[in-house]
Amino acid sequence: MEKILVANNLVKTFEKNEKKQKKVEFNAVDNISISVGAGEIVGILGPNGAGKTTLLRMLGMLMQPTSGSISMSVGGYESNDVSKIKANIGYLSGNTKLYGRLSTRELLEILGKIYGLSNDEIKIRIENISNILNLGEFIDNRIEKLSTGQTQRASISRCLIHNPLLYIFDEPTLGLDIISSNSIIEFMKNERENGKTVLYSTHYMEEAEYLCDRIVLLDKGRIIAEGTLSELSELTGKDKLRDIFNYLIKEVE
Amino acid sequence: MNKRIIKQLFKKEMLDVLRDKKTVLMMVVVPLIIYPLIMVLSMSVMSAVTQDMAKSTYNVAIGGEYRNEYVKLLEETESQEYSFEIKLSDGMEDDLQSGEIDIYITAEDVLGKETVSVYYLSASTKSSYALNMILDKIDERAQAKTNDILDEAGLDSDVVLNPISINYYDHSTAEESTGSLLGSILPFMLVVSILMGTMYPAIDTTSGEKERGTLETVLTLPVTSQELIFSKFLAVGLFGIASALLNIISMCGVMAYMFNMMESLGASAFGNFEISKFIPPMLIGVLCVFAFAIFVSALSMCVCAFAKSYKEANNYITPVSLVVMLASFISFIPGIELTKNMALVPVANLCLLLRDLLVFKFNYLNILLVLVSNIIYGIIAVLILGKIYNSESIMFGDGQSGIQIFEKRSNMKKGGVPTLGDCGFVVVLMALVYLYVGSSLQMKLGTMGLVTSQLLFIVVPLVVTLYSKKSVKDTFNFNPCKFKKLIGGALVGVGTIAWSLVISAISATIFRDSAKASEQSLEGYLPDSFLLGVLVVAVTPAICEEIFFRGYVFSALRGKLKITTAIILSATLFGIFHMSLAKLLTTAFLGGVIAYVGYKSKSIFPGMVIHFLNNTLSCIALYHPVWLVKTVWFFNMRTVGERLLSTIFVIIVALVLPKIGLVLLKDKEAQHNL
Repeated sequence: MEKILVANNLVKTFEKNEKKQKKVEFNAVDNISISVGAGEIVGILGPNGAGKTTLLRMLGMLMQPTSGSISMSVGGYESNDVSKIKANIGYLSGNTKLYGRLSTRELLEILGKIYGLSNDEIKIRIENISNILNLGEFIDNRIEKLSTGQTQRASISRCLIHNPLLYIFDEPTLGLDIISSNSIIEFMKNERENGKTVLYSTHYMEEAEYLCDRIVLLDKGRIIAEGTLSELSELTGKDKLRDIFNYLIKEVE
Repeated sequence: MNKRIIKQLFKKEMLDVLRDKKTVLMMVVVPLIIYPLIMVLSMSVMSAVTQDMAKSTYNVAIGGEYRNEYVKLLEETESQEYSFEIKLSDGMEDDLQSGEIDIYITAEDVLGKETVSVYYLSASTKSSYALNMILDKIDERAQAKTNDILDEAGLDSDVVLNPISINYYDHSTAEESTGSLLGSILPFMLVVSILMGTMYPAIDTTSGEKERGTLETVLTLPVTSQELIFSKFLAVGLFGIASALLNIISMCGVMAYMFNMMESLGASAFGNFEISKFIPPMLIGVLCVFAFAIFVSALSMCVCAFAKSYKEANNYITPVSLVVMLASFISFIPGIELTKNMALVPVANLCLLLRDLLVFKFNYLNILLVLVSNIIYGIIAVLILGKIYNSESIMFGDGQSGIQIFEKRSNMKKGGVPTLGDCGFVVVLMALVYLYVGSSLQMKLGTMGLVTSQLLFIVVPLVVTLYSKKSVKDTFNFNPCKFKKLIGGALVGVGTIAWSLVISAISATIFRDSAKASEQSLEGYLPDSFLLGVLVVAVTPAICEEIFFRGYVFSALRGKLKITTAIILSATLFGIFHMSLAKLLTTAFLGGVIAYVGYKSKSIFPGMVIHFLNNTLSCIALYHPVWLVKTVWFFNMRTVGERLLSTIFVIIVALVLPKIGLVLLKDKEAQHNL
């Protein structure tokens, strides 16, 4: 399988203020190497504070790693140019909110131009996206007036406008109702069929079981296990991902 | 930077900000409404006052033996604005209280002199007015009496009473007198409204974006931080300029209207007024105002970028805008002129320039200085903004730098050092306490006041630290230190003093007036004995100021900022607190060195030694200047050889001693850890 994103020995060090006014350094991500193949859905799982968000932020080029390298294969060429990688990633997290005072259409137009699309291309893409995500009824309303589900669809449309190779979703279903989270899960599945790659983190075991081709388990900034569901259950002797997860986390401690 | 990207980001910012009601209200509605409103209000107040006067009838009671003369005097009064209702009686004090009469006078002969007693109520406006009228009348009578006496003696009363007559010729043109009138108030109003106009866009595009969570969205885009900042700055700067323009237009409109009205009323005070004469200074002024608007935009964005939310941003920008407003007050102070030095002081330079322009004072060098310095400050602010937007800890930070002491006490975490917000609050509080309580203590108690006002530097931060449950030991850096480190501190101190002598010599020549003023400021409060003087000037500040600046302030800054930033900031604050331009550089330098020593030695005590040594030297200079120059031989050099020797000596003191001192200060444990 062609590797689309390859990261080697990523480390992210933060300063934490502890007692005695000493600044304590700790590695939120501690020497992680990870690669994502074209057309697969990779799930990142781990307890709170395991470093999931920091890892995804670095892979999405929002944060600079303290050390380590990230490269992406774009059109058959390896690239580690930040702008080029960003232009081929659709990044979504609980923190990537939309401009409430703009309409979805305005937002998509502006973003499209930032990504360097022509006006005609933008028009066609908006048309397409609107059909896929059913934005038609609210695409010209201000985003602050939309319902939670509509906002979520608008958010996804933001990740689609530049037709990226890779989606990075950080807990995309967190806090959503069943209908909204289902639409996201279905979206990821469909995109995989279209040959797109998805890297995403979640707390929901069943969701990961249902969706992921490969699962990466993170704890304390390190990868503690990695593989398909069946590989992981072979490793631990458990069936359910929930049990596998609990077993591995305990083992580390 | 990519133009296409900047254009799109700029478009997004503009749409976003323009659709915010608050911003539009502050930027458009306020300037367009506030000036006409002020005009209408002031006019109606004025007419109300004059109307009130016109209708007034003052109730006057008159007693005493000369009552009839006074009744006659008052009855002769012919005025359309007021009239007197006169009662004749004695002992009317009670009626005065009840308001039945406004003023009560008695006129009697006391020891051969006509003596008038006036009973009135200073708390009542009407009674005070009546007092003024009556006093005028009494003056009239006194004048007449004097004339009679002089005439009787055969003298020309006019020559005796007015031996010199003065003729006034005002050569100011009508434009100039109007300009000087406007010159005081216009700069202030302009600064305030530009500040208001840029504040909301600045908050909205920086901390507002963080609060709404759209910042991370922008960071996912193939956009560099320079492009992001530049487009934001472009948007806020444009709002700043637009708000300046709106203010100017609105102000001009009101002014034109007022002049028209004055002219139609035939007001002579404004004479032959030509608005066209205002156009050249206006154009130059507008250019400088634009540069200023850009500077203010960048400044407010800088301040707001640290905040995570609207509320936090407001906390940060309020003190900054207060300082800006205070600085703009300078145009009300008559004595201060736009000098070359003044042209470099932000905010104040614009206000003084505008004031000068309005009275047609053109000095192209000063104009250039104001324009260029504003542009440079703007660029510096933008560069700092760039730093902030590159700092992940600020962009993704937890925002714990807010003011914590206003939170519930039970929610406060025990231990650690104060937050940045707390520190900012305490610094402002301390500045106010020191300014008001401290200076009044000094004035009342003299020497003791000097000591007690120093004690405030301990009390305020200690109370706040204890209240916010912070660790006293960590906050004030009260770590025990070995004797070796104190010696190290002393060595660094001696070197520092040598350097600071050079710095103070330079800054004393630049700010000559300020240097003199600061020398005189202490004189009145010093005790007579030298030892007491050392106690007051050296020992107390070495303890108290250290606890505040290198303890509370520096620890709080260090908790969040890089060490260099923390040192520079705390040193600057230390310099500013000494409230003297001449001392600013020297004290800031001293503060910087002591902060560095505190950081290296992990203890506050070596710094106290340095502070003590430095102040002791200035104490000796105050008490025994002659002795000092005689004893310390290199102050008293004559020949070339002596000068050379002394230069070498100073270099050794200034370079070698601190080196040795720093080695002594180093922590052995820390070296092992590294």
